[in-house]
Amino acid sequence: MGLLLSPFLGIAQGFQVNLHGEKQIGMGHTGTGLLQDGASVLFNPGAVAMLPENYLQGGINPLFFNSSFLLAGSNQQENVKNNIATPFNIYGVWGPKNAKWKVGMGIYTPFGGLTDWGTNWSGKYALESLNLKAIYFQPTISYKFNDVISVGAGFVIDYGSVVLTKAIPLSSSSNPDGQAELKGSGSGTGFNVGVFIKASPKFTIGLDYRSKVQTSINDGDATFTVPTSLKSSFPSPNTFSASIPLPATASIGLGYTPCPKWLVAFDFEWVNWDVYKSLDFTYGQTTSTLKNTVSPRNYQDAYDFRGGVQYQADKDVFVRLGGGYATTAVRDGYVTPEAPDANRVYGTAGLGIKAARHLDIDIAFEYEHLMSRTQTNIESNLSGTFQTNVFIPGISIAYHW
Amino acid sequence: MKNFKNYTYILLAAALITACKPVIQVPAPSAGSADFTRYISVGNSLTAGYADGGLYLAGQLNSYPSIIAAQMQTIGGASSFTQPLWSDAQASGTGYQKLTGFTSTGSPILTAVAATAVRGTVTIPGVGTFPMFTKYTGNIDNYGVPGIKLNDIDNGFYGNVNGYYERMLPGNSPSNTTTYLDFVTAKPFTFFTNWLGNNDALGYATSGGASPTDPLTDKAVFQTKYAALIAKLTANGQKGACATIPDVTTIPYFTTVTVGAILASVQAANPAVTGLYINARTSSDPNVTTYAPRLATAADLIVLTFPTSKMGVPNGSGIPYGLHPLNPIETQYVLDANEVAMVKDYVNSYNNTIKSVATSKGLAVFDAFAFLTSLKANGLLINGVSLSSGYISGGIFSLDGVHLTPRGYSIVANQFISAINTQYGSTIPTVNVSAYNGVTFP
Repeated sequence: MGLLLSPFLGIAQGFQVNLHGEKQIGMGHTGTGLLQDGASVLFNPGAVAMLPENYLQGGINPLFFNSSFLLAGSNQQENVKNNIATPFNIYGVWGPKNAKWKVGMGIYTPFGGLTDWGTNWSGKYALESLNLKAIYFQPTISYKFNDVISVGAGFVIDYGSVVLTKAIPLSSSSNPDGQAELKGSGSGTGFNVGVFIKASPKFTIGLDYRSKVQTSINDGDATFTVPTSLKSSFPSPNTFSASIPLPATASIGLGYTPCPKWLVAFDFEWVNWDVYKSLDFTYGQTTSTLKNTVSPRNYQDAYDFRGGVQYQADKDVFVRLGGGYATTAVRDGYVTPEAPDANRVYGTAGLGIKAARHLDIDIAFEYEHLMSRTQTNIESNLSGTFQTNVFIPGISIAYHW
Repeated sequence: MKNFKNYTYILLAAALITACKPVIQVPAPSAGSADFTRYISVGNSLTAGYADGGLYLAGQLNSYPSIIAAQMQTIGGASSFTQPLWSDAQASGTGYQKLTGFTSTGSPILTAVAATAVRGTVTIPGVGTFPMFTKYTGNIDNYGVPGIKLNDIDNGFYGNVNGYYERMLPGNSPSNTTTYLDFVTAKPFTFFTNWLGNNDALGYATSGGASPTDPLTDKAVFQTKYAALIAKLTANGQKGACATIPDVTTIPYFTTVTVGAILASVQAANPAVTGLYINARTSSDPNVTTYAPRLATAADLIVLTFPTSKMGVPNGSGIPYGLHPLNPIETQYVLDANEVAMVKDYVNSYNNTIKSVATSKGLAVFDAFAFLTSLKANGLLINGVSLSSGYISGGIFSLDGVHLTPRGYSIVANQFISAINTQYGSTIPTVNVSAYNGVTFP
């Protein structure tokens, strides 16, 4: 007998995480064309040499991902569990006073996802839960040609991990479903380059390009729990390998200081999701039931339009506001429960305090609304409406000297 | 610094105001032009929740009418739907088959679970001996009676020869005189589903066309009785839904054990064998009833219950079973090509009747014929589960190859619900098929 499973698994979605610094989040994720702090290591290594001081800073953004699904024809809304993802960022920037160069280090989480729909929801055969993390380590060097233009480059090492569970439609008297768990980690490399231009005392411009990081997972653990009589069809423990392209991004950012207390910024980012054509899983042992899979993804490039302002309310207090609009990478028919992506709007607010002469404390809050999306997935035929709201408070501390 | 606290409070307040889950709009609950105050279901074993070769409690609890009724409740339908359930103590009911393993060649091993609800038998002179089951007393909304044909609904004696019907009636066999049609319509109701008619063709087919008590119901009789049934069910303006009858060649009972597979296993032991012999009908004309041995082809369907161990066993004259015209596979194991053609012709006629009668009364129609034909041709992918009409692996048909798994019945319920919503503008929600299991594996 041949038990046909639907093609196995789907990972990365519109899985980009844009939480890279509280000052920048407060201003709608703008930063490519600004000289705010050590987060320039990520936003634009080219700006690092222009930073007026040295920085050591860290921030964290507990992320509340509230996604809901209404199965087509049903009146029972299903919600993801209240898990909190914790994207973080750590930056260090150092250079001698008045030198033309600075070095930096960034540790940040540009891609990830934490979605747990539970083991009883209607889409459990497509996905129960996913915990995907990509941590980038980026040593950086930046050089200032003169007071107008500087450049920088960083080398990126990615450490990625994934834990994915889904139900297998095989019941026994003790379990309503079989279970599959894929757990693995892998790595990849890339780079981040940027140019920063102080066009005038009021205008700054930044350009940044972060390369694709192909992250490969080899010898991950594949564990299958199925009825005893079918165990031979699902060798367990088993291994799997997969390779996921974390896409390149290119950004241009503008900073404008109309008067001393105000800062206005715009960023435009292009994300080259088009590289994500297909997600393929190769198992260490296959059977007539458990086959290697090829799942088409056919993502499209995504665009992100960002704007923000900062107002210096007091000598030591900065108030920030921002927002933006991002287009989805996922075409109609390819939306899956891993991260039910859609076009999104977001608004941000932030507050910066100079707590001491060398110490900044920044907090930010972001609200993201993903447009309701009614879809029938071409791979699973899971049909229904996804809607997602994301709430992201955050705090960072920066020491600068 | 003094303002820091204030700013923080403002941010936290903003976070709390917006920190709620998305709410996705659902259609307003509405019965449309129908009225679900009392829903009854009329039908045979499929309606009763029969599965795995028996009627047992777990199957009853998963019957498609009970699923439909629960969904009707969510939009203000009847607060209860009562089925003639077996008690917990007699949960195995009539007994059923359980999958307990696979042979080394991958064939399923079925083990019988003993009956607990048989109270005895009744012998009716000149007719036969019939099992009698534990009586059910109390309200009934699900009138599914395994084995019943449309042809039986106006037969006052039927309550004495069908144990499933007999147990619903107050009297004991052979004293019953209530017709099924009178019984189901005795109390007022506002909505019905009706899936009668399968056994008028299936009974003939599953017996390989060989059972003298299971002839195909005459087409004209079917038309007359169906019209009478619907006239009575809609006599007080009730709304309802009817279902057509599947093509018997789309169910695993007839598609799992094939001539080719039997021949291949015989040839594995004896390569000289070139074909199987069956005792087959010589014509698809219902009036020509002669049978003759001939070579089997792929167009001849072998029943799921055919004991393949019979193959090649010599008879008294030393002629191997199934491999020679003088000892062919017996007709009760084969729905031969002419019988298939006959059954298909009758089913088409029945379905034309069902659709035209239902349409004339403005009833919803679930076209089970079209649905199962499409399932066989294309399979079905729901919520990430690949389903097919395959035996065991397909996920829809239970171990008897005719009746459905809980998942199969949930799909049928959704099909009925969709047809009802379309016809009456109601908003009964469909069920989540993922919540119902297929075949249970050991």
